[in-house]
Formats: sequence, structure tokens, C-alpha cells
Amino acid sequence: MNEKLRRLLTPEGVRDLLPDLAEEKRVVETKLQEVFRRFGYREVSTPAFEYAASFVTASAGSLEEKMYRFPDERGRMMILRPDFTVPLARLAATHLAGESRPLRLCYGGSIYRHASGHVTRRREMAQAGVELIGGHCAGSDAEVVALAVTSLQELGLGQFTVCLGHVGFLQSLLETHEINGKAGEQARDYLNSKDFVSLREMIQGLPLTDFARECLLQVPALRGGREVLAAAAKLVPGERGEAALAVLDEVYQIIDDYGLARFVTLDLGLVRDMDYYTGMVFEGFTPGMGFPLCGGGRYDNLLGFFGPEQPAVGFALNIDHLLVVLQRLRELPGGRKLTFVGYGEAGRVQALTLAQDLRRQGTGVIVDLTVRPREEAELEGERLGAARTYYVPGNTMVLEGEAILDG
Amino acid sequence: MAEMNWLTLALAKGRMLPPAIDLLEKAGIDCGSLREMSRQLQFADDRNCLRFILAKPADIPTYVEYGVADLGIVGKDVLLEQERELYELLDLKIGLCRLSVAKRAGSGDFAGGHVATKYPRITERYFQEQGRQAEVIKLHGSIELAPCLNLAEAIVDLVDSGKTLQENDLEEVETIARITSRLVANPGSYQVKGERVGWLVASLAAAVAGGESETGC
Repeated sequence: MNEKLRRLLTPEGVRDLLPDLAEEKRVVETKLQEVFRRFGYREVSTPAFEYAASFVTASAGSLEEKMYRFPDERGRMMILRPDFTVPLARLAATHLAGESRPLRLCYGGSIYRHASGHVTRRREMAQAGVELIGGHCAGSDAEVVALAVTSLQELGLGQFTVCLGHVGFLQSLLETHEINGKAGEQARDYLNSKDFVSLREMIQGLPLTDFARECLLQVPALRGGREVLAAAAKLVPGERGEAALAVLDEVYQIIDDYGLARFVTLDLGLVRDMDYYTGMVFEGFTPGMGFPLCGGGRYDNLLGFFGPEQPAVGFALNIDHLLVVLQRLRELPGGRKLTFVGYGEAGRVQALTLAQDLRRQGTGVIVDLTVRPREEAELEGERLGAARTYYVPGNTMVLEGEAILDG
Repeated sequence: MAEMNWLTLALAKGRMLPPAIDLLEKAGIDCGSLREMSRQLQFADDRNCLRFILAKPADIPTYVEYGVADLGIVGKDVLLEQERELYELLDLKIGLCRLSVAKRAGSGDFAGGHVATKYPRITERYFQEQGRQAEVIKLHGSIELAPCLNLAEAIVDLVDSGKTLQENDLEEVETIARITSRLVANPGSYQVKGERVGWLVASLAAAVAGGESETGC
């Protein structure tokens, strides 16, 4: 690419948002913060860059290769925020260490990660989400899932499913059937990417009993309603696995009490990318969208990196993916309801007074930038797509509304 | 019938289509409209609430990733080359072949040099992992010609019987991967249309294993 072109374009993976889309993004973000507020969450904000050290230790490797790093003017290593959960854990463990628990926090903003794969992926992604810190386990898990479902409903999404799993179930199942080390990791990776063909091939190749093999091959099929939990218990998932199933049972019951169970699918093969999850995990999907709309889970060890250990759970919505889905569902706001005010010689005072009055009442008003004859002003109003046009001819003392022509 | 109940399946045109149709029919899916070899690119099986799209093999992952199709049937070679975010649900065991390295018969071992292929990413990765230097030359077809014309010392391509290689005086020296067709799914469709996808996977799995199955909507 030559220098001239480079000056005109943004790098791949980041983008400018033009009026309609930028407005829709703002509407979505505002609505989400409002839903979070109604659940008692309070907004916080963290810096776009931080010390690399906080992230590298806390996220335990899963984000390591995807972070943008740079030295600051004193040569200290910084990272561009790749995630909100780690900074919020830091904030909760430091500035808000003295606040009573449970602590309900929410946020919105951009995260930055290296693009992977050969198709251009976003390198800057907008998120909004919540973290619930120091609360009772199942109650918190269920509240956060209910909040995710409510958020998607409030945005007007019709068809979506939130899949619910638990990292403890799979860990314990693999250990109980003695699939450890590299094979265990590989099995988790295959389940994470839902590559059932490779999973099957790998399991066939391992020196396992027929029973163990059968148990593992069943995992992808453990999806659906509550009956899945009973089916999962039959696979001998071990003590921690059974504890995980008990948690999911309680969480599912609470979500049902919310009246939201129809939006939730249990999926015991669900694994999420981040290594910091320790309990329930979930992801939200809509048909035809290849990426999750939201995702989250429990991370009970993360706050321990910054202070005393505290249980915590949270989730984030991916605004960019939501915008794609919403664009498909309905027209972007577009056709803004605007009023245009034009004026003739000496009509400016009244015109500007009128515009300011209308603006105070909440109307969007564009004021002409120069004196024009009435016909031209009317044309200009039309060109701007104004719903109404006023014209103040001037040279006349006018009472409000008088001598003002309605276009 | 609600739209929620319909599944769209993307199929590859060409050599892979007849075995895919055979398998779908064995799974109890009506492919009558597909068999009529017209120029049309969209078909439906109303009884099973299934729609079919025909596309070039390399485009199938795109259709599925962007959600135009809920599912697709595509060769593992294409999946390996493209590395998309798709769920790989089932090995359909059709279109069996190998992705192999071949060189001119009788020439010395291939230690490095130019390699012609339709699969530049797989090729680059394969030689890199082995610490061999290979300069990849991307071609769109007639790969076997490259060594004869001294464009490359070796090629990476799909090998079925090996007859084409022989006819061009080439010999297969290394197998990179065993290739078959796979059933892939869009993650969102897989999660939200779980029951329907589950039905199709079960029907196809039974057909692969040699059984019959019932209609599904």
C-alpha cells in the first residue's frame, strides 16, 4: 500500500462508524447500561492501557498472545486493554476493597486484540458487561445469566439461546476417566471449537476402557433442558463433576423462577476461551451468527491476584456482533426527525431564539448558516430531509409563532 | 411451517455432489429436485423442511460462517486451508482421498524448493513445522503440470487413485492428511436450532453407518 492510500484508510480490523451505525451503537449501549442499572449495577470505567504485568499474571496465558503491547515513555511495558474482567477485578480488589459485598459493577467500552485467522477479524471490539463480586454462588450465577437474557430481550432480539455449562464438570470427567495432561487439554480444545470429528478420532486412539470411551463420546450430546443433568450424572463425572451438576441444577431452577428458562439450553460440552473461569460458563447465540453475542462465567481465583480471594461472576455483550444482528432485524434509525430554521435579513435573532426554545423542548433543530430568501431556505430544508421547516423573514417584530411560516 | 424449523444446507458442486446426494437420500432426505441437474442453485425438501444451496467447494465455509446456510458439507482439505470458526459435527466418510506431497518420479528426495499447490496455507504450515524451506506457488488447477514445466520441484494436491500423478510422471512421497467430507455448522444455528441440527446429525450418522432413518419435522 502506498503512503497516500495509507493516509486515507484505517488499518484492517478497525473501522470508522458513520452516522447511522454510530447512532445505533450509542442507542444499544445506552439501553444496555439502563438494563444493568435496573438490576442495581453501577457503572465504572478503567483506562484503555495498563501495566502489562497485571494482565499477564491474571489472565494466565489465554490472552497472552493476543495483547497489544508497547513501551511507555519510561520504557515500562504497557498493554492495550484486551478484556474488561481483569481490570474490573483489579479495581474491585483495590479501590473498592472496603465496599460491602456483593458488589455489582458494570462497564462499557472497547477492547483490543490481535486478529487471528486469514479472514479479517476485528481488532477493536466494543463491549458492555457486568461483574458481580462476592455473592452467593448459584444466586449470583443465575442473576448474571438472567441479566444477559434480559439484555438481549430488551434489545429486541427474538430468537436467541443462552447455553449454560460448567468447567468443573468436564475437568472432573476427564480426570475420573484418566485423560490427563496433553490429551485432556486436546479434548477440551476440541470441545471448545466443537470439532467433534477430531474429538472422536482422538478418543478412539486413546488407551481407554470401552466405558470411558463411551462416556466421553456422549459429552457433545449433553445439550437441552434439565434432563441433561441426569444424563450427565450417568457418565461418572467424579465428585467435583457431581458438585458442578448440582450447581447447574440450582442455577437452572432460579432462571426458571425468573420465567426465563425457555431462553436457556444446558450444554455440558461448553468450554470458553479464557483460562480464568472456574465454574459456570455461558454464551449467547442467535441463528445465522457465527460468533457469540455474549459470554461470561464464574472466575473465583482472579481477584486473588490483586488482593484477598473473592468469588465473582460476570459477562460481556459483544456490541459489534449485536449491531450486525440488529441491522438484519430492522432498519437503522435513519430518517431523523429534524426541524430546519431559516431566516431573512435581520431575522436571525428570532430564528436563533426559536431554535434554542425548540432544542430545550428536545427537538432536533438545524439552523441555517446564512441569510437566504424564503424559497431557497425551503429547498435547503427539503435537501436536509427536515420534517418541518420554519422561516423568519426578519424586519418584523414577531411574537413567537406569528409571521413564522410552517414549511 | 415456521422459519425456525427450516435448515439450509450448503453443498459443493462438482465431483463431491453425487456421493453427498446418495448419502442424504440414504438418510431419508428427498433429493429429487437436486438430481434433476438443472442450472438452478437452490432446492428444497418440503417434507423435511430442508433447503439446499449449491456452491463452489471453497465458498461453502463462507456461506456457513456468515449464516447464509446453517450447515454445509465440505471437504476437510477446504477446512484445513481456511481455518474458519465452524463446528465440525460429523465425518461423512465420502470423498475419501489424501492430501499429499508428490515429486517427479525418480528425482532425489525433496529437501526444499518450490512447491506448487491449490493449498498455500496448508503447504506453508506443513513444511514450516518440519523445518524445511519451501517456496509456495499458488495455482488454481492442473497442479500436476508444474514439475513437468520446471515451475516447481514438488506439488501438494489431493490424491485419489494416484492415476493422474502416474500419467504426469509424478510419485507420491508424503501424506499430509487423510481427507473426507465433513458436516459443518454455523455456531449460532447449531445452538439455537439444536433439535433440528441434532436430527440431521443423527440421520446422517445412521446413513454413514449404513442404516435408514425417519423424517424429521
